[in-house]
Amino acid sequence: MTAVRVAAAGLALLLATACTAPAPPRSRASTAAGTACPQPRGRLGAETATTIDVIEQAYFCILGTYYSGATLDARSLLSAGFAALTQELNRNGRDVPEAAMPALTGERKADWTAFEAAYRKVSDQAPDLRDKLAVVTLEAMVDSLGDNHARWAHDVEEPPDRYDGEGYGLGLQANVTSAQANLDPGAALPPLFVTEVQGGAVRAAGLRPGDIVESVNGSAPFVDGAATPAIAALYPRYPDARPVRLGLLRQSTGRRWTATLRPGLYPQDLTDLQVVRATLLDDGIAYVRVRGFTPDAADRVVKGISRLRAGRALSGVVLDLRGNGGGSPLEATRLVSAFTHGAVTAYLCTVDGRCEASRTDDTVELLDLPLVVLTDRGCASACEHFSSAVKDLRLGRLVGTRTAGLISGPAHGYLLRNNTMLSFPVRHHLGPRREVIDRIGVPPDHHVTLTPKDAAAGRDPALAKALALLQK
Amino acid sequence: MRRLLAVAAGLVVLAASACSAPAPPRSAAPPATPTGPATLPAPTGAHRVGTIALYLKDASRPDPWNPDAHARELKVTLWYPAERRDGKRAPYMTPKESQLAMRRFGIAGVPDDTLSRTRTNAAEDAAPTGRGLPLVVLSPGFTHPVSSLTSLAEDLASRGYVVAGIDHTYESYATTFPDGRVAACLACDSDTDPGFGTGVVAGRAADVSFVLDQLPAKWAGSDRIDRSRIAMVGQSIGGAGAMAAMVKDSRVRAGIDMDGTTYARIPKGGFSRPFMFLGSPQHVPGGRDRSWDRDWKLLTGWKRWLVLSGAEHQSFTDAPLLAGALGVKPPSDVLPGARAAELTRTYVAAFLDRHLKARPQPLLDEPSSRYPEVTFCPATCGRS
Repeated sequence: MTAVRVAAAGLALLLATACTAPAPPRSRASTAAGTACPQPRGRLGAETATTIDVIEQAYFCILGTYYSGATLDARSLLSAGFAALTQELNRNGRDVPEAAMPALTGERKADWTAFEAAYRKVSDQAPDLRDKLAVVTLEAMVDSLGDNHARWAHDVEEPPDRYDGEGYGLGLQANVTSAQANLDPGAALPPLFVTEVQGGAVRAAGLRPGDIVESVNGSAPFVDGAATPAIAALYPRYPDARPVRLGLLRQSTGRRWTATLRPGLYPQDLTDLQVVRATLLDDGIAYVRVRGFTPDAADRVVKGISRLRAGRALSGVVLDLRGNGGGSPLEATRLVSAFTHGAVTAYLCTVDGRCEASRTDDTVELLDLPLVVLTDRGCASACEHFSSAVKDLRLGRLVGTRTAGLISGPAHGYLLRNNTMLSFPVRHHLGPRREVIDRIGVPPDHHVTLTPKDAAAGRDPALAKALALLQK
Repeated sequence: MRRLLAVAAGLVVLAASACSAPAPPRSAAPPATPTGPATLPAPTGAHRVGTIALYLKDASRPDPWNPDAHARELKVTLWYPAERRDGKRAPYMTPKESQLAMRRFGIAGVPDDTLSRTRTNAAEDAAPTGRGLPLVVLSPGFTHPVSSLTSLAEDLASRGYVVAGIDHTYESYATTFPDGRVAACLACDSDTDPGFGTGVVAGRAADVSFVLDQLPAKWAGSDRIDRSRIAMVGQSIGGAGAMAAMVKDSRVRAGIDMDGTTYARIPKGGFSRPFMFLGSPQHVPGGRDRSWDRDWKLLTGWKRWLVLSGAEHQSFTDAPLLAGALGVKPPSDVLPGARAAELTRTYVAAFLDRHLKARPQPLLDEPSSRYPEVTFCPATCGRS
């Protein structure tokens, strides 16, 4: 399983981006996408096997429609795909004499023909691996774009006995999130510790926030300070139901123990799942947690604050965007519009540098309240669009840790012939100063981190800092 | 769950939640000439029907939707067998509620009070009659008041049931309280949240238990109720609420879910009280909504899964009966309102007569030539 795919799935809300991003400019979308890969309409049919024809469709879809499709060296896609093919053969203890890369010329159609011929020779000699080979080839082609909003969604499986609001997994959040473990391990810092007990096996085993995870399935989560792939096992996805063995340390008591946890479905706190939740804190400060930029998120924030304001004066707003995986860029823009008018919140740029400004929606009522935004490495995509606008336009202060840096550009979905979805940006995102946010993230104005001791004691130093700033 | 019929517009408006691509809407039917206010079909049972509204307040829990309300207020409408048809014919809804319904469903071209002039068959505050009457709790679909199930409620009362219809406050476009306050649909603000349906049905189960607790003290006629014979029937999320209430409250002996995606987790050990799914063709096994397939396996007692060909989500409500009054012609391939009401009344009553009155019901054992629209799933109904 590739890093990009896992991470994108981990950030559930990134998925929504595909559906909520504004339609791409017609001139770009219609010609290539119209023939190679249409935008999905209606409900997806049942998935069928991935074949070389599906890979071909994806290849031309990327070249015709992807952000840098027009200028991309198509050979990079084909060689990435072929490399993955040979690796998969090797992993299965096999090899095929014909599994050598054909010579490519740089001419897209001819190169595809050569690739397809070579691919078929290999695939025909390993008929039992046919499906697997096709899947790894296409995954590798998409990965080779190196774009955190490029994704191929396939073999999407839901637990059949799942009820609305239930989670799947071990039932915890750690300071290293799923997305970070898979996509950006370089930013992960030791020690690995539990930040939230959500339910399931973790709750049953009596783990608590602040418990330090010293080993995952016998492997160290950090070696010489660098995160290892072992951390990803904290976040199994259905249908993976293999037990996960954790070595744990509770600092307060010095207790060391091992817990073997089986992934499964577990009910979650429904209040916690609310996308927007506004509550009143002491001193007339509105605390609004926004978990994602769903299509109604901005209105719900404004409405929530207005409701708290009825009959009392507010002195400020804390927007808690920690763990906000993004969503609709339009909603990010609309939420910025509750704090300023007549401003540019971001730019969306084509590969040849033509940029379109995303301007505030000045029909949104201004809240006119001091603002502090809580961010962390889980704030991704549209969340970073919002945070960078707050920072650049000086609408408030950011408290916490740097955002994820997962904001190449809003993704659009394209339907492949086997009813799987390919999604990627057609334009890339820049901040209001035309700066790149992708891979960099947005730095907080006040860097406040969480320690295992804070987590164990239920302290929230970032929120405390936010309140202190607003009370000044 | 969030399938709202733009009442009589015949348009199935599907909630465009984040990634679930909506099905293409039916082509809009041409508007018809409004027929004037509707008349609900006459009840089919032997008794005349009385009705009364009760207002209850549960101070033991805060309202789940209104953070400023520290108690849960509920309006309960009772329909019951009455001695005589004395007293005023009960209004279908208030003119204000009619206006709000029109706005909500985008109906124009007819007077705002059209729905409130719908002719009902129940007399306001008529004296109740009968002894040892079984009780049926009714719960409406999301955004709808319980008045959307009046045709079914009146029919059940005429057949000797006491019906307690609950308006789940803030889950409908309008709930009117005696002081004139009209509670709006606050729950509509968050209906795209994950876990939303699960939260709604948990709240409805709590509403039902509270109503069952309070009924003896709040209604003078309640000594006529046999409290060992209680069932619940609901449409859409109200049907899911029936399942949730039964899981939580063993007083509810039997339940019917009319076309509602279900949300309450059924204990792994199964669930043995009688339950019936009554659905539109959206709800065939292996269809778009998987919740019935999931739950069917966990139902271990008497159970049925009936699908009505030609039905749509609102076929189990009064909506198709009101289409003419609103000047909208339903699509030709949808069950006409009168037939939809007949089927709903007949099969709901058969289930209740079987389980609350212990009367054999051949209708529930096999297909009937009188009701060819009804197919028995999962055995004989394929994926359509």
